[in-house]
Amino acid sequence: MNTKNISSAALIISLIGIHSCRKAENPSGSSGTPEEVQKAIIYQLADNVIFATYQDMDSGAVALETHVNAFIQNGGEEELKACRESWLAIRGAWEKSEGFLFGPVATQNVDPRIDTWPVNFQSLDSVLTHNSTFDNAYIESLEDALRGFHPIEYLIFGQNGEKKAADFTQRQKDYLLALSHNLRGLCDLVVNEWHGGYYKEFTQPGSGSVYANQREVYEEIVQAIIGICDEVANGKILEPFSANDPSLEESPFSQNSMTDFTNNIRSVANIYYGAYSKNGKGLEDFVRLYNLSLHGKISMEIEAAIKSLENISLPFGQAITAEATKLQSAMDAINALKETLENELLPLVQLHSAE
Amino acid sequence: MKLQHPKYRIKVIAILVALVAFVFACRKAVPLSDSEQNEWYSGGMQTVFISGSGAYGQPFPTLSKEKQELHELGDVGFGAIFNSDPKQRNYGLGPIFNHVSCASCHIGDGRGKAPETGEALGSLLLRISVPGTDPHGGPKPVPFYGGQLQQRSIFGAAAEADVTVSYTEKSYQFPDGESYALRTPVYTLSNYYTTGPGNMMVSARMAAPVFGLGLLEAINEMDILALQDINDQDGDGISGKANRVWDIEKNEMNLGRFGWKAGQPSLIQQSAAAYNQDMGITNRLFPEESSLGQTQGNLASSIQELSDSTLYAVAYYVKSLAVPGRRRANEPLIQQGKILFNQTGCNSCHVPSFRTAANMAFPELSNQLIYPYTDLLVHDMGNGLADNRPEFLANGTEWRTPPLWGIGLSKIVNGHNNFLHDGRARSLTEAIMWHGGEAEKAKSGFENLNTQERKALIAFLESL
Repeated sequence: MNTKNISSAALIISLIGIHSCRKAENPSGSSGTPEEVQKAIIYQLADNVIFATYQDMDSGAVALETHVNAFIQNGGEEELKACRESWLAIRGAWEKSEGFLFGPVATQNVDPRIDTWPVNFQSLDSVLTHNSTFDNAYIESLEDALRGFHPIEYLIFGQNGEKKAADFTQRQKDYLLALSHNLRGLCDLVVNEWHGGYYKEFTQPGSGSVYANQREVYEEIVQAIIGICDEVANGKILEPFSANDPSLEESPFSQNSMTDFTNNIRSVANIYYGAYSKNGKGLEDFVRLYNLSLHGKISMEIEAAIKSLENISLPFGQAITAEATKLQSAMDAINALKETLENELLPLVQLHSAE
Repeated sequence: MKLQHPKYRIKVIAILVALVAFVFACRKAVPLSDSEQNEWYSGGMQTVFISGSGAYGQPFPTLSKEKQELHELGDVGFGAIFNSDPKQRNYGLGPIFNHVSCASCHIGDGRGKAPETGEALGSLLLRISVPGTDPHGGPKPVPFYGGQLQQRSIFGAAAEADVTVSYTEKSYQFPDGESYALRTPVYTLSNYYTTGPGNMMVSARMAAPVFGLGLLEAINEMDILALQDINDQDGDGISGKANRVWDIEKNEMNLGRFGWKAGQPSLIQQSAAAYNQDMGITNRLFPEESSLGQTQGNLASSIQELSDSTLYAVAYYVKSLAVPGRRRANEPLIQQGKILFNQTGCNSCHVPSFRTAANMAFPELSNQLIYPYTDLLVHDMGNGLADNRPEFLANGTEWRTPPLWGIGLSKIVNGHNNFLHDGRARSLTEAIMWHGGEAEKAKSGFENLNTQERKALIAFLESL
């Protein structure tokens, strides 16, 4: 959808020719053949980064539902604060998973069901004044913009992030609980689908997998980090920025958008370095085998992209006008990273990964 | 073909060099013969070699920077989620609708998954009509319901009906003993918003992949018509027929190319109709709400909800989506499958290749040798698949041959292998075994292959 030209048919054909008679070799001299290293990277990315992130998201969703329940029981500021904190926590995990939007989260259409914005206020008000029972079937029947992270965010933070516990109506509480429950169900779904077969397809390409070989798995991984760079720079930031319209901001009520963007680029870093729950192998180890200077370039550009986002001190909605230059620099830095991933990293993994 | 653009020239030279490298690098793999080399490039020059979940969503590789920007604008439009809040962008959803954005049904620019028993329709919708035709020979709308059933609604409006899905399943055996099962969907409509019509014909339609459509649109009409054999004069049992449908922009009848019954003549009309019918978004080609004639119709304030520029950008996006290239096409099993595909006669309708018409205005689409595996004609597919709902010249048992390019990537892009107009088939094997009517002979050809041969034929399809 969002990613760019990956043609180079010529390259592919010559690869097929060259690769079919290529003997495995190990230009780096590190332990294991390149094929073994490549295989280990995929396993460790799956375990240490991808699955670990989804597990955090899932346990975060359980925590959110628990805190929402506690808030509904006791209704105090303390409990509301806990709800907000757990929303921010699970939000962080989700944004850190957006560097790998493939597999169940894509094929089960989870993304739009949990992360559609802007919130549709008019319909949201109608939902609140209506008398339907808030069960899961009802939540599932709602338009995408009426469920998932952002309606939850709106309910617990309020329009300006200043909502008080006493401001809640019973109907809002019921809606909130049903939304948290629905969110948790979808997080469960992703974890279960990874457990239930996709993990094996991802880590063991070949017959019985949707990936014919390791090259296809690597293409998937690299395409995904290119995709999120594109989405952040040329969608999430650029659209509200060029329309000069703060209402298009992703997480306006919690004023969390800048954190969202930074976490998105952190997910690129996590995949590249293979570090999240623990520090294991990542794409870095692949690149180091073949092209140390490219490794240096990518590391610097990841760091520059994250720094340029951290440089912005105001919430995104205000930064659109007050920190326009800094936002432009951030978009430039992310696009530079994207170009490198697209024009240098992708061809590298296509050239060297096992057919 | 005269290669004007230096980029193309370089590309072609690069390809030639690569081919030479390929042929001489080593002889382990069985290379395709020279003329067959083209088959790697399913979409001609607009082929991408990417096999991950983004495989259906790549722009043409030869787009200029300006055209890329238009493509990306269209991409944003394709993903834009509509709502019913007049204060927001992307306003205009409903009042009745099937889904909220293009990409909600065409997930990953690909194929929708059939709803399992009890699930919501998701990417599936129901076309409806009553016996007779509209003024242009198209389906006659159901009074107070129109030509499509919208089973969702915004607040304050009523959905036209609730739809539940269930399946009946039957087991079968191949002559060599291997077993398979086919499931038939049953759609139950209830809770009509007003008195339900008695004589309604219902046709379920699954969201189809949207890549490569610009190339299909670029095929010369004469090349498609040349494949017609309406009265089966050559006696091969195959009698393809071109559909002729109403072209709103041109105000005349034209060749139908798109949709499960080839009911749409162009991508712009296909896109505009989907906006209008699937999402309730009025636009230049369809200025009236789908709820027109209902008490909930938005007639008084009928504004054009979709800008022309968005409509054109989205149509351009779809037009300029590239085709995934072949994978492993030179493996012996796949080569064997290809021979069997032709021997059993699959290629009579799933016509492998076309060359697109010359087009000075759109050089990316011009004069491309493409491998879509369709003839874009409608064929009698037998009673098993019949929807018994005519659409222009396509009668109740006829369906348009769907393209097969990229079909092997369904699982990776969309996470399922549901095929056919309503997604009833759960594998390529089931999809083949549903074929009947004109395809009966090809179907039994496949049925009577041995297990290994059937595997080869499926492997060939998966390499497309």
